Amino acid sequence: MAMTPRKTRNREMLFDSVIALVFILVACVDLCDGATVVDVYRLIQYDMSGVPFGSRLASLNHHAASLHFSPHADLSRTVLLIPLRELNMSFVQEYIAASKPLGGLILLLPQMFSVENKGGVGSNHDDGSKELLKNVLDEVEQILIHTNLPDASFLQYPVYFAFEDENIDTVLLDIKKNDATGQPATATTGGYKFVVSATEPKKVGSPPITNIQGWLAGLKTDGDSHQLPTIAIVASYDTFGAAPALSVGSDSNGSGIVALLEVARLFSLLYSNPKTRGQYNLLFGLTSGGPYNYNGTRKWLQSFDQRLRESIDYAICLDSIGSWENELWIHVSKPPENAFIKQIMEDFSSVAEELGFQVNLKHKKINISNPRVAWEHEQFSRLRVTAATLSELSTPPELLERTGGLVDGRQFVNEAAIVRSVKLIAESLAKHIYGHQGKNVQIFADNSNLAVNPSYVRSWLDVLSRTPRVAPFLSKDDPFVTALKKELEDHTDEVNLQREVLDGMFTFYDSTTAKLNIYQVASVTFDLLLLLVLGSYLIVLFSFLVITTRGLDDLISLFRRPPSRKVKTA
Amino acid sequence: MTVFHFFNCAILTFGPHAVYYSATPLSEYDTLGTSVKAAVVYLATALVKLICLATFLKVSESDSFDPYQEFLKALIGFIDVAGLYFALTQLTHRNISQNHKFQAVGLGWAFADSVLHRLAPLWVGARGLEFTWDYILQGLEANANLVLSISLAALGSLMWLRKNKPKTLIPIIYLCAVIVATMPSTTSYLRRGLGWHLPKVVGFELFTSLVMAFISWQLFAACQRPSLMLAAIH
Repeated sequence: MAMTPRKTRNREMLFDSVIALVFILVACVDLCDGATVVDVYRLIQYDMSGVPFGSRLASLNHHAASLHFSPHADLSRTVLLIPLRELNMSFVQEYIAASKPLGGLILLLPQMFSVENKGGVGSNHDDGSKELLKNVLDEVEQILIHTNLPDASFLQYPVYFAFEDENIDTVLLDIKKNDATGQPATATTGGYKFVVSATEPKKVGSPPITNIQGWLAGLKTDGDSHQLPTIAIVASYDTFGAAPALSVGSDSNGSGIVALLEVARLFSLLYSNPKTRGQYNLLFGLTSGGPYNYNGTRKWLQSFDQRLRESIDYAICLDSIGSWENELWIHVSKPPENAFIKQIMEDFSSVAEELGFQVNLKHKKINISNPRVAWEHEQFSRLRVTAATLSELSTPPELLERTGGLVDGRQFVNEAAIVRSVKLIAESLAKHIYGHQGKNVQIFADNSNLAVNPSYVRSWLDVLSRTPRVAPFLSKDDPFVTALKKELEDHTDEVNLQREVLDGMFTFYDSTTAKLNIYQVASVTFDLLLLLVLGSYLIVLFSFLVITTRGLDDLISLFRRPPSRKVKTA
Repeated sequence: MTVFHFFNCAILTFGPHAVYYSATPLSEYDTLGTSVKAAVVYLATALVKLICLATFLKVSESDSFDPYQEFLKALIGFIDVAGLYFALTQLTHRNISQNHKFQAVGLGWAFADSVLHRLAPLWVGARGLEFTWDYILQGLEANANLVLSISLAALGSLMWLRKNKPKTLIPIIYLCAVIVATMPSTTSYLRRGLGWHLPKVVGFELFTSLVMAFISWQLFAACQRPSLMLAAIH
C-alpha cells in the first residue's frame, strides 16, 4: 500500500518528461520537403485603373487532377495539371474566360518555350506543330492577361506555368491513370497533392522605370555641339507577359535592343575617327515602360530641354524586327507628304532595294485624347518631334499585345533578319549623315571592318532571350540595366540613366515565381485500414503472449474480471 | 491525415513493447524499474559506442560495403553485449526471478533503442504530406528488434546467470548469442553489400528474429528442465 503513491508519482514524472520531449521535438522540427519540387511561374497579377486582372491568389494546397475529369465533378478543391498540347479551347472558355470555380490551374508548357532552352535544340517537333502550339499559347496568354468579366473580372484561383520534364511527366501519367478509373482524387482516395506555400502577393510599391540614354557627339565645326542636328535611335527594352518571370521578349523588343546596340557599335567606330565623324549628333535611347503606352519614353522626352528637343532631326524607333521575311514597315504619324517623312522614306527604301527587300510606309494619325499609344514614335509626335517606327508589324498592336510574352522565345527569332535590319538602319542613317543620297555607296559592306557582326548580334540576342524584363520587377540597380548601360558606355561618349516611376493606372503584385511541392499522399481510407490492421495485430499479440506466459484461462479471466489489478491493490 | 499516419507508425513502432509489458507477468511483478534501468544502461552503452565509432571509423564517402570497416563496426557492436552483461549481472534489482529479469532487461533495451533510433525520424518524416512505406517498414523493424533483444537477453541470462546448465547446450547457446549479436552487421551487409531493398531486409529481419526467438525459447526451456531435455535428446 505504501508503494502505490510513490509508484504513481514516478509514472507521472515519466509521463511529464515524455510530453516535454515531444514538445521540444515539435518546436525543433519543421515540416519535411516533398519528393518532387518543381519551379513554377505565376500568372501575372495587376490592376488597371483599379480593375483587377490576372490571378489573385498565390498559395495552393489541393489534390491534383488531369483534364480527364468527369464533367460533373466539383473542381473547386482540385488543381488541374494540363499540358498545353492537350488544352482545348472549350475548356479555356469555360474555366478561364468564364471563371468557373477551380482549386488551381497549372499549365505545362513544352520545353521549347523554356528560357533555358536555346534555339529549340533537340526539339523533335516539326515546324507545323510548333507553330500551332505557339498560336494556342498566344491565344491563351491573351485570354489570361485580359480576362475581364463584369461579375468576376479576375481568376479566383492561382494559375501557374511550369515546364514539362521527366519528373512532372511521370506525375502527370499517374494522375491520368488515377483519373481514368473515374474517381477524382480527393482526401479519401489519395493520389497527388500539389502544394505551393506562398505568402499573399503584395503590391509593388511605385514600380521603377529606368531609361538609358547614350550620346555620340558629332564633329564640331564651330561653336557648341548642341547646335548640330541630332538623330535619335530608340528602342524600348522591357516586356510584359502572362508570366513575368518568363517574359523574355526575344522579338519584342529584344531584336530592337540588339539592333540599337549594333548600330551604336558601328557608328562609334565611324565617329572615333575625326575624318569619318559626321556632323550629326547621335542619341541612343533604351526606354522602359514600353508595354504601358510607352510611359518611359514620354518621361524621357519630357526631361529633354527645349534646345535638344528642337535639335532632333528625326527619331527612329525600333520595335519587333527579328522575324520578318521580305517586308518591313515604317509607321509614321505625320502625313507622307511631310518633307522629313519623305526624306526618311527615301533613305530607307533605297537601301532596302539594294538589300533586296521592301519597306512600306504606313500612316496612322494620333489622337491626343486617346490614352492608347500604339507605337513608340507617337510619343515623339505628341511633342512635335518627327519620328517613325521601324517594325515587322503592319498593324498597331493592342494594349499589352506583342509585348514579349510567353511565346516570344529565342527560337522564333531569325538572326539574319536582325542583321539585315541593322544593315538597313545603319546604311540609311549613314546616307542621311554623310549626304550620299542618290549614290550607291555601301559603308557597312560585308567583309569590311565596318560589317555587321553576326556573333555580336547572336550573343546579345541570347542574353536577352534569357533575361525576363518586366519593368516593375526589375530592381533599381538590376544587373541587366547595368549591363545595358555598360555596353552603351563602350560605344558612346556619354551615358545617362534616368530613373522614374511608372505612372498611375497600373498596379503590380509580386511573387512571380514559386516552388511547387508535389507530394504523393495516402488516403484517409488507407490510414484507417492500417489502424485496423495494427489494432488487430496488437490484440493478437496480446492474446498470444497472455496464453503462452499465463495460459488461456488467464486470458479468459481477464475479460471476465477486467479490473483485476484494482482488486489486487485493494 | 498525416498526423494520423504518424500515429499509426508510432503504434507499430512502440505498441508491441507496451503490449509485451502488460500481457506478460512483467506487469504483475512490477518490473518497470528494471526496464528503466536497462534503458539507462542502453543509453550509456550507445554513448560509448558512438565515441568508439567516431574514434575508430573513417567517414565513408561512398555507400559501398567495406569489409574491414564493417568488421570494426561488428566488434564495436559487441559493446552492446557488454552493456547487456552489465545490465543483467551488475544491476541490483528488487527480488525478481531470472525468468522475469531478462525479459524486463530485454524490453527496456529494445524500447530505448526504438526511442533513440526511430522516434526522431518518425516525427520528422511520417508527419509530412509525402507518403512512403519507409516508416511502416521501420515500425516492423522495431518489432523484429524487440524480439531479438529479448532473445539476446535470454541467451545472456543463460550464459551468465544460470549455473547448472547442460554441458551439451553451452556451445549452442554461445553460437546463438553470436548470431543474434551480429545481426546489425548482417543486415548492414545485406543492405549495402548485396544491395537488398528495405522491404526484403525487413522481411529477413522479421524471419530471423522469430527463428532465433524460438530457438532461444527452446534453449531456455531445456535449461530449466534439464532432465526432460536430456530425455528428449535420448
